[in-house]
Amino acid sequence: MKFILYSVFFGLIALSVFACKEDDKEGTLTLHFKAVYDGQPLQTFTTYSFNSPEQIQFTHLSMYVSDLTLYSGTTEKNLHDIALIDLSFNSAGAADSGYTLVLENVPASSYDGILFGIGVPPDENAKKPADFPSSSPLSLTGYYWLGWNSYIFMKTEGRLDTIGNGDFSIGYALHSGSNQLYRTMDGPVPLVIEDGKNTDLTILFNYKEILEGVDIKSNPQNHTPQDTSLIMKIVNNLPSSIHLIP
Amino acid sequence: MKWFAGCSWLLLLSAVVVIHSGCHDTIDAPAGDLTSIPYHPVSYTLNVPASFPALEQPADNYMTVDGIQLGRKLFYDPIFSIDSTISCSSCHLQEKSFTDGLAQSTGVAGKTPRSSPSLLNIGFDYHGLFWDGRVKTLEEQALKPIEDPIEMGNTWENVEQKLRAHPIYPAEFRKAFGIENKSEINRDLATKAIAQFVRTIVSGQNTKYDRFIRGEIFLEEDEFNGYLMYFNLDPNLPDAQCGHCHNAPLLSTNDYFNNGLQEAADLESIPDKGRGLITGNLADNGLFKAPTLRNVLLTAPYLHDGRFNNITEVLDHYTSGGKNSPNKSTFMYNLHLTESEKADIIAFLRTLTDTTVLSDSAFKSPF
Repeated sequence: MKFILYSVFFGLIALSVFACKEDDKEGTLTLHFKAVYDGQPLQTFTTYSFNSPEQIQFTHLSMYVSDLTLYSGTTEKNLHDIALIDLSFNSAGAADSGYTLVLENVPASSYDGILFGIGVPPDENAKKPADFPSSSPLSLTGYYWLGWNSYIFMKTEGRLDTIGNGDFSIGYALHSGSNQLYRTMDGPVPLVIEDGKNTDLTILFNYKEILEGVDIKSNPQNHTPQDTSLIMKIVNNLPSSIHLIP
Repeated sequence: MKWFAGCSWLLLLSAVVVIHSGCHDTIDAPAGDLTSIPYHPVSYTLNVPASFPALEQPADNYMTVDGIQLGRKLFYDPIFSIDSTISCSSCHLQEKSFTDGLAQSTGVAGKTPRSSPSLLNIGFDYHGLFWDGRVKTLEEQALKPIEDPIEMGNTWENVEQKLRAHPIYPAEFRKAFGIENKSEINRDLATKAIAQFVRTIVSGQNTKYDRFIRGEIFLEEDEFNGYLMYFNLDPNLPDAQCGHCHNAPLLSTNDYFNNGLQEAADLESIPDKGRGLITGNLADNGLFKAPTLRNVLLTAPYLHDGRFNNITEVLDHYTSGGKNSPNKSTFMYNLHLTESEKADIIAFLRTLTDTTVLSDSAFKSPF
């Protein structure tokens, strides 16, 4: 009798330990954010052809990426709240490496895809940089625009040569912001996170596609509150311009 | 008799020596001991304007009443410079909103290459200090001028010796940091005290602008127009592009920009490299920190090298678009502002003036 009781007792303990271990299996997901143009890693201060005969250079590319979530069926696992992804690289090597975000302690499992927002979610966008400690990417006043009462979600800045003669005399600053321009991206890419192992996922931002149909020459800046048509174009281009490569 | 007199003097001298040595043996603590001085640190709570971010202090240097008091004395004491002529306050005068009114500040060996930036609200700058952001904290910043050959030309070893031998400072360091012996006085504690004092130099609720933002007053028409252009709040008015680099509430993003001061065909050939020298990144060449515009009308001459004598010259530069180089800020282009619009912007900049900070007794010299 004693033997049976002991067996049941230790059996239950063993079961709970193994059950816990199963739940605790975790791996790492490394996200590589990269900017490309015409299939090449995008380097700042490098000349690219734009709407012929225009030529374009980029000086600064960045965006908030928020609510990074893996999903499987209807189950979602939030991995990271918000990060400021800076893709401004002026060397080929750095541009090729991109911006790396390492997400640890991801539950080991098979996932159907990844969700993430481009911009600051409305609940956080209701706050201001002063509400956050300096360690938070949301503390940066350079990413808040008073006229919109909003964070600047995405910055695309550079210079434009309008006649193709190498004179990049027009500076442009295309910034998105305000809740109506927040977008959630759904990347239905199967991902397997294995216990103790790393899984890589590359997220490409194709800026030629992002700027498709955008008339920079006519409207190189957009900071008046009512001026959203141009930036709306960019935001609507995002889903077809972001490519996920496992 | 003479022999007797001589003996008397000898006996008297011996007695003095014996008594004196006896005193040493029985009363004096070890040399430099400070433990007889009470150490009761009282934490200091800074009155931070509601719109400001929280003041972040290093975990090993929380402000105390005695720490600030010591820092204030050190800030005003020329003990740091090799010839005892220059103190921190020499380049950061309270009456000039903690600048010095010079294009290039003067040290013990002549002119420095930079204009002194204001210390107003400098405690809230978490993005690097100096015009090129070469250090991260105020504690690190305070280390630098002492050994700069132009600024103070001294060595920290020398300064530490002087502070330890000083008639007053050892007790002050004891009260501020609880040291037990003079020998513990060092650069680390001296700069911590200075940083504590400098963090108290806050201005953010007494300006006309602050009262307007709080809804307590209206701005005059020209000031309001300037406000709208500064932050680009009215599509019917031009965007003066100020808010991108000098955003509220500090009226600075504390970030770094190429503001079109240097003509250059490529990044490598930008003459004054500024931030680029610190980061080693070509894209940072010619970038300088955007200073706060609070009290800007009191801090001429302007820019990192003091090249503009007055605010009109500054406006003329920014609205002209400046000189071209590959990384010139994309917000720098010819804005075609009218003289009236420029005047409105200057009227708004005037609303950023806080004169109370110029005479606040808490920031005055204690000497």
